[in-house]
Amino acid sequence: MEASISPSTAINVQGLSMGYGSRVLLENASFDVKRGEVLVILGGSGSGKSSLMKNMIGLYRPMAGDVSIAGKSIVNASPDDKARLQRSLGVMYQSGALFGSLTVLENVRFPLDQFTDLGMAEKNLTARLLLRQVEMGAAESLMPAELSGGMLKRAGIARAMALGCDILMLDEPSAGLDPITAANLDRTILTLRESLGFTFVVVTHELQSIFTIADRAIMLDPVSRSIIAEGKPVELRDGSTDSRVRQFFNRQPTAAHSAGP
Amino acid sequence: MAGTRPTSNGDGLVAEVGEAAIVLEGRITAYTAAPVWRRATETLTQRSGVPITVDASHLEYIDDVGVALLFDLARRQRSRGADVRIRGLAPRFASLIEAYDPEDLAQAPKGMRRIGAFEHLGRATADQMAYAGRIAGFVGQCVAAFAQALWRRGAIRWSEVLDVATEAGANAVPIVLLVGFLIGLIIAFEIGRVAQQFGAVIFVVNGVGVAMLRELGPLMTAIVFAGRTGAAFAAQIGTQKVNEEVNAISTFGLDPVHFLVLPRLIAAALVMPLLVVMADIVGLFGGALVMATFDVGFLQFYSQLLGAVDATDFLIGLLKAATFGLTIAAIGCQRGLATGAGATSVGLSATSAVVSSIVMIVVIDGIFTVLTS
Repeated sequence: MEASISPSTAINVQGLSMGYGSRVLLENASFDVKRGEVLVILGGSGSGKSSLMKNMIGLYRPMAGDVSIAGKSIVNASPDDKARLQRSLGVMYQSGALFGSLTVLENVRFPLDQFTDLGMAEKNLTARLLLRQVEMGAAESLMPAELSGGMLKRAGIARAMALGCDILMLDEPSAGLDPITAANLDRTILTLRESLGFTFVVVTHELQSIFTIADRAIMLDPVSRSIIAEGKPVELRDGSTDSRVRQFFNRQPTAAHSAGP
Repeated sequence: MAGTRPTSNGDGLVAEVGEAAIVLEGRITAYTAAPVWRRATETLTQRSGVPITVDASHLEYIDDVGVALLFDLARRQRSRGADVRIRGLAPRFASLIEAYDPEDLAQAPKGMRRIGAFEHLGRATADQMAYAGRIAGFVGQCVAAFAQALWRRGAIRWSEVLDVATEAGANAVPIVLLVGFLIGLIIAFEIGRVAQQFGAVIFVVNGVGVAMLRELGPLMTAIVFAGRTGAAFAAQIGTQKVNEEVNAISTFGLDPVHFLVLPRLIAAALVMPLLVVMADIVGLFGGALVMATFDVGFLQFYSQLLGAVDATDFLIGLLKAATFGLTIAAIGCQRGLATGAGATSVGLSATSAVVSSIVMIVVIDGIFTVLTS
C-alpha cells in the first residue's frame, strides 16, 4: 500500500477510525495532505478535530486504519522510527504546551538544544528570528506563566517551527487571538508556505482564517462519524449541497436556537 | 569573485572559493547547519578586512535555521559596511531576512541584575515580613470563617467535610496502621536490647507506652498525614487557583477560605485524633509482640502499661493530634491559595506544604513538651 502513495503526498490517512473507548468519533476516513498545501480540518466543537490531529501525529493509536507520513506508517512504526517520524513534524498544541520552567526563548531554543550542534549564539539568533516571525520578540525573557493564551500559542508555533519540520500541525492557532494578531498569524503561515515550502495542517473553526489560509478543507461530523465535505473553503461555502456544511460556513444556528425570542 | 564553483561536498556545505567567497549550496536545515555556520563564521573572522561575497545562488532549500544563518551573514554585511555581500539569494528567502531588524536580534539575552549582600539581606527580610503578614492574615481569615460558621446554621458544608475526612482519614488507615505498628515494634526492640543489659526489661513497657501515646503516635501519624494530605490539599487548591476556579468562587460572592479551607480544617482536626488512636493501639501491640520475645507476656505487658501511663498521656496525645491536623491542613490550604501561575508552581506549593508542615509539627511538639512536663 505504501508504494502507491505519491511523493507529492505529505500525509496519507487511510481508512482511519478513531475515538475513545466505545465512543467512536470517526469511521473509515481517508484523505491526503499534499506537500506545500495548507489543509484545514474543520468541524464543530467536540467533532474530534484535535483527536484526529493526535491520531495523525502518532500520539493516539487509531482504532483501525493507517496514517503515513512521507510514505511511512506512523501507526505500525517501531518506537525509534516513530520518534524519527514525529521529529519531522512540528506540532503546536491548543494551549501552546510550553515548558513552564523555561523562558519563552529557552522554550523555542529547546529543540535546537536537543537535536543540533549549533553554538549558543546561533541558537539564540535562530530562536529570536522564530519569535519575531510570530511577533513574540518582546516576550522572549518572560516565563510561560506570564503570557496570555494567545501569546502561549504563538510561542508554541515558534517552537514547532524550530527544527524546520516541513510539516507543521497547528491546533487552533488563531482561537483567542485579537483580529490583528490573528490576521498577522495567517499571513505568517502563508509567508512560511511560500518561502520555506512548509506543509500546514491546521485545526480551526475561525471562518475568517479558513478563507484566508486554506487551500483545502475537510469537515468532520460527529453524528455521521465521517468526513462530510472536502474541497476549497469558498466552494464548500457557495456550492455545497450539504446543509450542515452551509450552516457551518454561514454561521447559522441549529433549528433549536433559530426560532428566536 | 575569484575562483570557480567548487565540487559539491555534501548538503549545505560551505566552500571557500579563491580568496574571498563563500558558497552556500544544497539544503541547509537545523540538522545540517552547524558545520556550515561554523565555517562561514571562521572564514569571516579570518578574512576580516577583505571584502567577502556569499554566493547563495545554489541553495536548494533552507529552513528557519538556514534563514537565521543568512540573517547572521546579512547582519554582518550591514554592520561592517560592504565587507560581506550576499549574491544570488532567491527572493523568497530574501524577503524573510529583510523583514527583521539586525540590531534587534543581536542583543544578548537579558541576564539577572546582580545584587549586593545588603540588598539581598534587605529583600529577604522584607519578603519574610510580608510572608509573616500573609500567614497572620490567613490565620485571621480562618478564625473569622470558623466563627461565622459557628453562628450561622448550615454554614459548614458537612458533605464536603465528610468527603475530605474519608480521603484524608479512612483512606489513610492502612498506612497509619503499618507505620504505627512498625514504630512500636522498633522502639520496643531498641530499648529492650539496652534494658536487658541492666535487667530492667519490664520497664521497656513504660518507655513504649509513654513514647507511643505522648510522642511517636501523634508525631509519626502527623508526618504521614503531612505527606499524604497536606500535599494533596496544596495541590488540589493550587490547581484550582491555576485554573481560576478560586476566582470563580470569589466572583460568586463566596469566600474561598470559607468554601475551600474550612471543610478541610474541620475534617483534618477530626480525623487526626482518630488516626492517632489507631496508631497508638497497633504501636502498643507491636511493642507487646517484641516484649513477648523478652519473656514479658501480654498480661504482664498490660498491667505494667496501666501503671506506666494514664489517661492524661493519652489525652495529651489526642490534643497534639488535633493541633497537628489543624496545622497541616492550614499550611496545605495556605500554600494552595498562595500558588502562582503554571503547573510548576503547583508542585512547589505541594513540596513547600510538606516541608513547612513537618517543621511546624516538630516545633509544636516541642512547645507541648515544655507546657505539659
